[in-house]
Amino acid sequence: MSTITIRGLTKRFEQHVVLQDLSLTIADGSFFTLLGPSGCGKTTLLRCIAGFNDPDGGSILFDDDDITRVPAHRRNIGMVFQDYALFPDKTVQDNVAYGLIARKVAADEVVARAHEALDQVGLRQYADRFPAQLSGGQRQRVALARALVIKPRVLLMDEPLSNLDAKLRLTMRDVIRDLQRQAHITTVFVTHDQEEALALSDQVAVMQSGRIAQMGDPESLYARPQTAYVADFVGSANLLPVDYLAAGSVAVAGQTLSVDTGDAESGRDNQLVLRSEALTLLPRNETGGANRLGVTLLGRQYLGAKTLCRVALDGGQVLQVDAPGIQRYAPGDALWLHVPPSSRVICR
Amino acid sequence: MKLPGWPWGILSLFSLAVLVLFVAYPISVLTLHSLQDAQGHLTFAGFATVFGEAQYLEAIVNTLLLGVAVTCTSMALGVPLAYVIARCDFPLKSLVAILPLVTIIIPEVIVGQSWLMMLGNNGLITNSLREVGVSLPSFYGWGGMIFSMTLIYYTYVYLGTLAALRGFDGQLEEASLSLGASPLATRIKVLLPTVAPAILVNALVVFTLVVGNFALSSMLGGQIPLLSVMTYSLFVSEMGSSPVLQSSLSVVMVLLVGVVLFFQKRVVERKMVQMTQGRAPAPRRAESWRGSLLALAAVVVVTLSLVPLIAVFVGAFTRARGPVMHWGQWSTQSIERAFALAPEPIINSMLFAGCATVLGTALALLVSYLVVKKKSSLSGVLDYVVVLPLTISGTVLGIALVQSFNTGALVLTGTSSIMIVCYVVRRLPFGVRNASSMLYNIQGSIEEASISLGVSPLMTFFKVVLPVIKTSILSAAILMWATSISELSASIVVYSGGLETLPISIFRLVDTGRLGLASAYGTVLVTLILVPLALAVKFFKINLFSVK
Repeated sequence: MSTITIRGLTKRFEQHVVLQDLSLTIADGSFFTLLGPSGCGKTTLLRCIAGFNDPDGGSILFDDDDITRVPAHRRNIGMVFQDYALFPDKTVQDNVAYGLIARKVAADEVVARAHEALDQVGLRQYADRFPAQLSGGQRQRVALARALVIKPRVLLMDEPLSNLDAKLRLTMRDVIRDLQRQAHITTVFVTHDQEEALALSDQVAVMQSGRIAQMGDPESLYARPQTAYVADFVGSANLLPVDYLAAGSVAVAGQTLSVDTGDAESGRDNQLVLRSEALTLLPRNETGGANRLGVTLLGRQYLGAKTLCRVALDGGQVLQVDAPGIQRYAPGDALWLHVPPSSRVICR
Repeated sequence: MKLPGWPWGILSLFSLAVLVLFVAYPISVLTLHSLQDAQGHLTFAGFATVFGEAQYLEAIVNTLLLGVAVTCTSMALGVPLAYVIARCDFPLKSLVAILPLVTIIIPEVIVGQSWLMMLGNNGLITNSLREVGVSLPSFYGWGGMIFSMTLIYYTYVYLGTLAALRGFDGQLEEASLSLGASPLATRIKVLLPTVAPAILVNALVVFTLVVGNFALSSMLGGQIPLLSVMTYSLFVSEMGSSPVLQSSLSVVMVLLVGVVLFFQKRVVERKMVQMTQGRAPAPRRAESWRGSLLALAAVVVVTLSLVPLIAVFVGAFTRARGPVMHWGQWSTQSIERAFALAPEPIINSMLFAGCATVLGTALALLVSYLVVKKKSSLSGVLDYVVVLPLTISGTVLGIALVQSFNTGALVLTGTSSIMIVCYVVRRLPFGVRNASSMLYNIQGSIEEASISLGVSPLMTFFKVVLPVIKTSILSAAILMWATSISELSASIVVYSGGLETLPISIFRLVDTGRLGLASAYGTVLVTLILVPLALAVKFFKINLFSVK
């Protein structure tokens, strides 16, 4: 259980800069997620914390201990890998006991603690099986037990859910979050799945080419993205270029909208973030409302709980709208698109 | 560049030092000697003689001819056999499919001896046919060499082709048929182009093996001058004098094989087609007489290649007087003599091959681990140096080692260590290839998992990597044992009195016509090879198809 402090971390592979002067603090006991597309440096950062990558500059601290040059096996970390990384020739119990034996824990305590850890993930009855005899979800739970049983200072997870099917992923999110809370262990979680990041984390850092684009708790990240990149990556957003008129007022395709203009100003590259689920479609014959744009329905996909609608602004731009339930509109219908006044304009 | 650190940097340096000392250094000494006269001055006299005198040119031409001939016959035998095994079903098929592998591990010296006992001037078949009035042409010379080499080396083509055919996506054939091509046109236009590079790669391997072959060339070659035999005789006759000629001839052999391997690596292997996925078409039951004929042909080929094994066992228990075998009269006198009066070759062979197995397997594992898992600039160099022995035939390696370790700071000539070095170096490229393929199959993350749990990188190797690959290591060790204990061409150059091994003894006994004792030693040798192999297959389920 430690606070992780990263100061000015830089990492290059050959000429390619993967991490650029990156600094951040991860609070003790918090669940911290590094979110970003592949190649953004999130896994490299995690592996620097683990000690598998040597940074070219900067330092990493667990509480007040500078561990930048400490080899991985002396860092007292727990790590969970994307491909589980269970030892194929060892039983579930031996996998879990491995780190305890390396720490020279007394034999009877090894067994007791391994059993306790397996109980926590609900796999005690599988103690004598080999990894190949388990399902993907079970394997990842063994990997979790193996990482937690050694009571590490920090828990590091590298896309642990991406090899699991969609349903199992939801269950495993709960398992991970519950165990993390119980153990009150500082956790760094790497993922490219924004939903996972929002669902699990206390804090999320969205990474973009080796830097942190924006960091915050899930709600603020989703509600107030600061850049187009973050808005696009967290949640599904339509980005609509707008002209700044005055504070609280922008123009799109000749119509005026009242929105949250934030720090936008005239003459900058202003874009309105429209969350697809916050938009509403209304029939054209309904008159008198404000904050409306004229659109034409291009096509729709019925998904059961919602219908994905593709609409074109009169100006030609195409937007996506998530409408609840069944929509009766037909392609070619002229409609109103209602924009909530809470929509934000960003200028980066 | 960072300084090499403990453990992998230091171990890389160590492995590189070993390889430089026993592979790179001997080759450079050899090259240097080919360009130096007795006074140490630069000279091209050696090469001038090699390319100027008729006998050497003839040897070069003959060697190339033999190489081409055996490569062609091996393809003619190996490719159809592989096709029949991959695509047809017939009784005894699983046995027929696996038995050719045995030919690779029967020592060549025993193959040579057995065919002499069958088809030589006093051979069983020669004599029987003579009694009924049929006289066979002499077995010594082109016929005997091509015949006996083909029956060993076709296995390489067979295995390579079989692997390619089994990896072939049957849907491609179906696609071709659906587009209106006839079955024959489909085979020629779709199947052949995808398996051809694999066939060629293995055919070139056969070529290099023929060029380097010493045992069969020497035993069956008769009066035909060949590079390997001539190099060996030059070595024997130049003993003590300036080694210019043997060195020049050796360098020519190294270059010859080197060029072929370079061509194989750079040109042919790049044409290899990667099958993304798909299943090979299921074998079809052989139909009527055509199928039976194919099956029969396959059985005949495989049986023929196993004749030496049977012949040497029978020969060991047959009454013998010099070169005359009294077939049908049983006796244990040869076997008794081998064990009671002259057991040294047996003991030597087991000792040297045992040491070579332990050292060679460990070195191959270390090198491939560094190359596959701990990539660095040092391990990149290792990756290159380790394949060098492929270009050096046994005879040349022996000469290079003798020249390098005869005098100077490290004298190994006359000690058993030089025999072990021979064995290890010759097998090293194959050992590393084997070990690499098993290491590639290990998830990289399990090592990191172990390290993250608090175990140092070096201990992780022993606690996580080694247990996962232990059966593969065992099979690699058994192959190392089998090939070491059969080694002749390098060890016959470096050995000295008291260091005779089984293959060397057999070779010399055949030369002096004492076929009974030779058969007895041969039986011991084959037993020492087959018993561990059989045990391993039975108890550890090692995969014979990784033999290559």
